[in-house]
Amino acid sequence: MTQVLLAVVLGLLFALGTFLVLRTDVVRVVWGVTLMSQAANVYLVTMGGLTGGAPVLEGGHGGETGAVTDPLVQALVLTAIVIGFGTTAFALVLTYRVHEEHGTIDLGEVRAE
Amino acid sequence: MSTATAFTDTHVVIAPMLVALVTAILTLVTRRSGRTQRALSLLGGVAYLVAVARLGLAVLPDGVLVYQLSGWPAPFGITLVADALAAFMLGLAAVVSLAILVFSLSYVDDQGQRVSYHPLYHFMLTGVSGAFLTGDVFNLFVWFEVMLMPSYVFVVFYSGRRHTAAALQYTVLNLVGSALMLVAIGGLYATTGTLNMADIARRLAAPAEFGIDSGPVLGLAAVLFVVFALKAGIVPFQFWVPPAYRAAPAPVSAFLAGVTKKVGVYAIVRLYFTVFAAGTLEAGLGLPGLSGRSFLAFFGPVLFVMALASMVVGGVGAVSRDDLDDVFAYSSIGQVGFIVLPLAVVATVADPAIRVLGLVAALVYSLNHAVAKSLLFLVSGAVFEAVGTLKIPQLGGLTSRRPVLSGSFFVGALALVGIPPLSGFFGKLLVFDTGARAHAAGASLAWLALAGALVGAVFTIAYLSRAWSRAFWGEVSPAVDRAGRPVVLVAVVAALAALVVAIGVGFDPVYGAAEAAAEAALDREGYVEAVDPARFEPTDESSAHALGRLPGVAP
Repeated sequence: MTQVLLAVVLGLLFALGTFLVLRTDVVRVVWGVTLMSQAANVYLVTMGGLTGGAPVLEGGHGGETGAVTDPLVQALVLTAIVIGFGTTAFALVLTYRVHEEHGTIDLGEVRAE
Repeated sequence: MSTATAFTDTHVVIAPMLVALVTAILTLVTRRSGRTQRALSLLGGVAYLVAVARLGLAVLPDGVLVYQLSGWPAPFGITLVADALAAFMLGLAAVVSLAILVFSLSYVDDQGQRVSYHPLYHFMLTGVSGAFLTGDVFNLFVWFEVMLMPSYVFVVFYSGRRHTAAALQYTVLNLVGSALMLVAIGGLYATTGTLNMADIARRLAAPAEFGIDSGPVLGLAAVLFVVFALKAGIVPFQFWVPPAYRAAPAPVSAFLAGVTKKVGVYAIVRLYFTVFAAGTLEAGLGLPGLSGRSFLAFFGPVLFVMALASMVVGGVGAVSRDDLDDVFAYSSIGQVGFIVLPLAVVATVADPAIRVLGLVAALVYSLNHAVAKSLLFLVSGAVFEAVGTLKIPQLGGLTSRRPVLSGSFFVGALALVGIPPLSGFFGKLLVFDTGARAHAAGASLAWLALAGALVGAVFTIAYLSRAWSRAFWGEVSPAVDRAGRPVVLVAVVAALAALVVAIGVGFDPVYGAAEAAAEAALDREGYVEAVDPARFEPTDESSAHALGRLPGVAP
């Protein structure tokens, strides 16, 4: 059930992100890109599998741990989030510069010049 | 497990990355003192070349050098791998980036250099080196981002009207590419159970043993391929190239065209010819026009179409442009076609000799394009500095006023056309040789490769002779008559032109290096064996127990 729900949510997120990227308003485009990279992050978490306990090795190394979820994907997502944070900030600053230079954030008008 | 001495020996692998990173930080700290900063930046560029040369000398006898980060063995830690292929690409980057750096010291305005140019340049070089050296697909994503972030800033460096618009397009496109790359990498991890490239290759070779379904892996590899094609600017992912190259400062365009594009090419060679080539489909492809069971049988025709389309789109675009930077930008779309074409042949033939030859052709052509195209972009920078415009109708007669500059352009253009004894001659020769031998061996698409290469070559001659006769020959235009004398810029450009001649005249060692690199790219067993991802495979012990034996983990 969780799998189906997550698959639907991911599909919606990617669809919405794609829709926004194709707008002419620069701010919406940046939103779209942000949404897409967040969707990629959620997708990445699901790739480690959804079942299993907390990946904690109680009682030191070598003890019995049982089935645990994959902690690696969460480390990957942290890296991806940090990178996405930086690039989103840059994209927003760039949007501001586009507005300063062109007096508009409509890509149709920016291109026409 | 390796001894302490073996660890110190392999530190040479990370030396190029460390040098670039330290230089970037030092130039950031010293930005208040312009002179110190420039000296450090130049010193860093030279040190990078030395570090790469040292790495090359270490790789030469040892074959594959592996650096396991923090001593965590593959596939648990991040593995950095330096083989002949990585060393070849690093060598290309080191030589070209040093020439570009010297050019920038004189070309970029003082304010720009002090504020951000040098740190960004070396951060970009760090990202490029990391991408060449990493043996881990997620780590490759990280290095791509390290390489891209400075390039976003560089495209908007002059932050005028044109530059902000171009940077927005470039940034958004690459951010979408990054999201795609994450999706592909996440999927690969879920299907193969590992991120280590050698481990992926090992598991793909025995899919049943590891419970891998090859079909989804091929699909995810195709998604990843889109990202690399975007970085390399291959049609149909080329549309960002001209505006970005025109907006960026000339030396940065030279770097983007000469080095950054080659990272995309390198990633295609490394991942599809070393790693994913291990994969086979159980039932065949079952797609119209595509047959065969190997993963490469799928990518071969795709590469063919993309290479031919790149040559035509780049050629037509370059012939019809009136701005030198535009001509060179479209030209680099077309020239990447020449790099991808032999790769397409390699993917479709089985003969090992032709496979090596095809990869040698792709690598030699990459080197030729890196040096010659950087040279041409630097020429356009020097022309802009001297004349103040790059519009071809306003230029003219540069040969009589600036003979050295014009001569350098001529050498770079001839190298791209492929006139002996310049570097480009061997590149073109090898591409045609690959096509002809594949044709003789009975490969079905080889005649298409030959015809495509011929059409591409004709386009190259057309747009370069047009630029030469309109911008450099002819009546001296008023703008050229008032031209200044950028001595340092012309000296750098002339040095690169001399390098183009030198590579062509002393081609033997270059061919040797390219051949070693091509063999390393195709030697999957050697790559997997060197990285050794199976060392800690739990056999009868529990995996937790095996982990207890890792270095760095107290038992």
